[in-house]
Amino acid sequence: MDLTGDDVQDILSLLDGLPFGELHLQTARFSLTLRRTADGGWTQETQIRSEPTIAPAAATVAGEATVPGGGAVPGGGGVPEGGAVPGGGGVPGGGAVPDGLRAVRAPLPGTFYRAPMPGAPPFVDTGSSVEPDTVVAIIETMKLMNSVCAGVRGTVAEILLADAQPAEQGAALMWIREDP
Amino acid sequence: MADIELVDTSLRDGNQSLWGATGLTTAHILQIAPVMDRVGFRALDFTSSTHMGISVRTHKEDPWELIRLTHAAAPHTPLQFIGSGLRFISWEPVHPDLIRLAYDRLVVAGMSRFVVLDPMHDMEAVLRTARMLRRAGAREIIAALTYTISAVHTDDFYAGLAGQMAACPDIDRVYVKDPAGLLTPEAARTLIPAVRARLGEAVLALGDDDPPESGSLRRNTKPLELHSHCTIGLSPLTCLAAADLGVAALHTACGSLANGTSLPNAERVVANLRELGHTVDIDDRLLARVAGYFTDLALAESLPAGQPREYDASFLRHQVAGGVMTTTRRQLDELGLGDRFGAVMDEVSRVRAELGYPIMVTPFPQIVCGQALYNVLGNERYQHVSDQAIRYVLGRFGRPTAAVDPDVADRILSRPRARELTAEPPPASPAELRRRLPARISDEEFLLRATMPAGEVDAMLAAGPARRHYNPGLKPVLDLLAGLRERPGMSGLVIDKPGFRLELREGTRQ
Amino acid sequence: MRRVLIANRGEIAVRVVRTCRALGVETVLTVAGADRDAVPARLADAVAPIGASYLDADAVVRAALTAGADAVHPGYGFLAESPRLARACDAAGLVFIGPTAEQLGAVGDKLAARDHATAAGLPVVPGGAVGSRAEATRLADQIGWPVLVKAAGGGGGRGLRAVAEPAQLDAAIERATAEAEAAFGDPRLYLERLVTSGRHVEVQLLGDGERVICLGDRDCSVQRRYQKLLEEAPAPLLDDGLRSGIRRAAVAFGRHLGYRGLGTVEFLVDARRGDFYFLEMNARIQVEHPVTEAISGLDLVAEQIAVAEGGPLRLAQDDVRLAGHAIECRINAEDPGQGFRPSPGTVTRAVFPAGPGIRVDTHVQAGSAVPPGYDSLLAKLIVTGRDRAQALARLRGALARCEIEGVATTAALHAALAADPEFGRGGADTGYLARFLARRAGTAVRAGVTDKKAAAAGARRG
Repeated sequence: MDLTGDDVQDILSLLDGLPFGELHLQTARFSLTLRRTADGGWTQETQIRSEPTIAPAAATVAGEATVPGGGAVPGGGGVPEGGAVPGGGGVPGGGAVPDGLRAVRAPLPGTFYRAPMPGAPPFVDTGSSVEPDTVVAIIETMKLMNSVCAGVRGTVAEILLADAQPAEQGAALMWIREDP
Repeated sequence: MADIELVDTSLRDGNQSLWGATGLTTAHILQIAPVMDRVGFRALDFTSSTHMGISVRTHKEDPWELIRLTHAAAPHTPLQFIGSGLRFISWEPVHPDLIRLAYDRLVVAGMSRFVVLDPMHDMEAVLRTARMLRRAGAREIIAALTYTISAVHTDDFYAGLAGQMAACPDIDRVYVKDPAGLLTPEAARTLIPAVRARLGEAVLALGDDDPPESGSLRRNTKPLELHSHCTIGLSPLTCLAAADLGVAALHTACGSLANGTSLPNAERVVANLRELGHTVDIDDRLLARVAGYFTDLALAESLPAGQPREYDASFLRHQVAGGVMTTTRRQLDELGLGDRFGAVMDEVSRVRAELGYPIMVTPFPQIVCGQALYNVLGNERYQHVSDQAIRYVLGRFGRPTAAVDPDVADRILSRPRARELTAEPPPASPAELRRRLPARISDEEFLLRATMPAGEVDAMLAAGPARRHYNPGLKPVLDLLAGLRERPGMSGLVIDKPGFRLELREGTRQ
Repeated sequence: MRRVLIANRGEIAVRVVRTCRALGVETVLTVAGADRDAVPARLADAVAPIGASYLDADAVVRAALTAGADAVHPGYGFLAESPRLARACDAAGLVFIGPTAEQLGAVGDKLAARDHATAAGLPVVPGGAVGSRAEATRLADQIGWPVLVKAAGGGGGRGLRAVAEPAQLDAAIERATAEAEAAFGDPRLYLERLVTSGRHVEVQLLGDGERVICLGDRDCSVQRRYQKLLEEAPAPLLDDGLRSGIRRAAVAFGRHLGYRGLGTVEFLVDARRGDFYFLEMNARIQVEHPVTEAISGLDLVAEQIAVAEGGPLRLAQDDVRLAGHAIECRINAEDPGQGFRPSPGTVTRAVFPAGPGIRVDTHVQAGSAVPPGYDSLLAKLIVTGRDRAQALARLRGALARCEIEGVATTAALHAALAADPEFGRGGADTGYLARFLARRAGTAVRAGVTDKKAAAAGARRG
């Protein structure tokens, strides 16, 4: 349930005629307290309790088709169906992969980690040289760790996500400047 | 594999099938209309004159304002009106000029898609109504092929009608309307190709974008849609067969307004279509939100939720809807004649055939079952005949599809009452009606006053503007507070459930 | 539009989230620093951290693309009127919920806006661009003293300096040029005659690029140092002819620009003489938009989104019905007793009034941080009545029921304004608040009580 100002008015129009001086309504997402004051009016006090959700990096950067079911913001998308465009209304954004750079993409939806374990040095930094088999990141999905390899030989140009940021399947994680 | 569109019927046919057409108010609709607009439905099956009458009578809300507000809240999705072109709100036929006025006002208020529904398939009347709609500015006009099982309603019969619809420039699309949910996938596999073959003969006037060398006319296939109720569990499967057969759009409903005697559940239809390789370009997240809203609303308002239905083989034979059967059985029980129920059901088949196979959609099940009951109870068949049955035979509900059995017709029309009803004057023109009503009322108010008791319209106007805001999650709390007015002497209240806590206290004055 | 990136914070972020939720549009909110845990972040569907500043257009566009958004809502302030952000959105294939970059440029440059106004046939305050010092003095002599020195790249009441006599002009211009360069990156100035007894009346416009309609007017004369404290709709005590003249002029200006989206044309009005002058246009949704919503029944954010989605206006001018009167108080985290010094900190208690005709737009609750470095708006209290008298009566009761603790607020000052007979009469001019504050300070001194104590007592009382 979400409450709007109209909802509060609806509650008050019924509450006003009752002999109660205070209403307290609480769900996991919010709490609302309405109190009658000496002048016959009411006060409202709200507490929003839901936690913020970090937006996962969408798989739409660099002109890729969205993953089917990718409309949901948290948690990422599902299994792609070979290029089928889902009923999601098209590809938002559309910044192309910069010239001369190749994208390393998340093979699965999950959390992007830059290092093999907390506290350890990151796999790569901007400027690191990589080979196709160099592990550059981990995507953690359902408590399982999946290594992500560079896929090309070159130099890390830019790391796009922060450590522990969620990513949708196919989201670009970093740019590699490919060796000529 | 095809791209299939959806027409949502929650607001009208879902509401009518499951909630007596009285379950949704202006506030219920406006709250969800902006979200429905973004799902990507081809259209919303939105209202009929019956529903407009219910707005006035039951909810004391202005149906014209409801159309305007909904169109403003959902500007991208066409709103659909369904009607026969013969009546407006009341059961009496009205003057064609009154219908023309109604169509003009409906288009101005925001209706853009119109279904012409004549279960008798009197094509002259259908084409006339389609032309009226086109002149009124309707953007999309759909003609209905109402499906039933009978000796006369064959694939050829429907194909013939489709041919006439294809040739009519005032008809843009056709849909197979299956109000009783009788259409099996097997039957669809012959019916739909037969109909589509004739729709392929469609001839359309040259449009602005057409190259001049295509001549003065353009050939195209008029799209076909399927609207089939879930009454005996067939529709979800028939829809899938239809998608394979080139049907362009399927009619569905959302959440608690789906299944039962309503239309199939949109989410399930979409998933199944995709499973079979079709594409459906809708926003899944918002479709789920719409379904959730109607489900929450049903819970909050204690309205029944549609459930998937069991197949009933006998239904294909008698086609009498559950509600009518229940009522008939109860009436027999009250008369101590419950053991005659089987005889009555047999009589239903005979009467239906004699009356020219009316399709068993309101009001015909009532007329046919009522007559079957009279025939079983009376000393002779057709000893007692209701006014509605007489009017039916007089053609007041449209020209029966097949001829009424001549002996039966004779029996019915030779009654003195029949002579009285024949002499009923034709419906009054709008000008005459205007003279009988208060001067200087708007066309919209005039249309209501011309077809409804004055007291009902007065009460609607006196009630003031309709509420526009509704929160199904909050409704139980509001009901509780309203109920507490009847329980004086309570000094406090605590309701504590997982995820929900409500406290009422006397409070400290400050 | 399926997913909108809201590039803002505070109460306007909450406001935009609320409409998007009603429409079924997903929201992603940019968050910097501690805003990550603030109420708007908890209400949005998701947040996109963007480092430390809300003023980096490239970061906003990157965040939108990364989050899969298809549109950006810039709110007000920050980059709301930045042609650079609008162009960057266009280039990235994102819909910028606002006017075109050209329109932002046309009215963002306050000097260019004056030229457009003149071209559209609107009267402007006598004035002009400042060239050489000699020209400036000549211009000032021409338009009449005192004059107001304004920054061409300013707006929203910023970068204004009054000059009473010729001897002070040179120094004022030198200082104003430096300040304008520093604050707006644009050193250009212009002069206007300083109208000491005028009213600030603005007109809300909505356009779709072809048609422009007017959604009524607002009076924002209660200002301190050109910052609005209190607004109301409609502007009270305006002659019908004058009011329709002002509205017509605003619409003409909007049409001249082919304006798209929400925008507000501000006028300086001499009600006694029946004159009005174009001041500037704000090409964004404004803080005080709720008073227009209250008397029109419209959701202005929804109208913005509808226009941004490319549709034609879904309202005709005749569909706009205005009824009743609404007053909005901006409750800021400032201490009136300490010269309106900002009072950052943590809100420990946030209790607001509720009841018929009362609306509260806020992003704070108990525990909310009020960080320094952003504007000090805590909450907007909007009260509606069938007429101004009822709105005012309701406002007095509502303000008495405001209890915000943990930071100093201007709530008590608003209560005093609502009780002041001059405000009660309506039609107060832009000099009113300064006179009121001076009177209050004088009264407090005479009563032997400092302003600070009075304000503190007021805050505790409610």
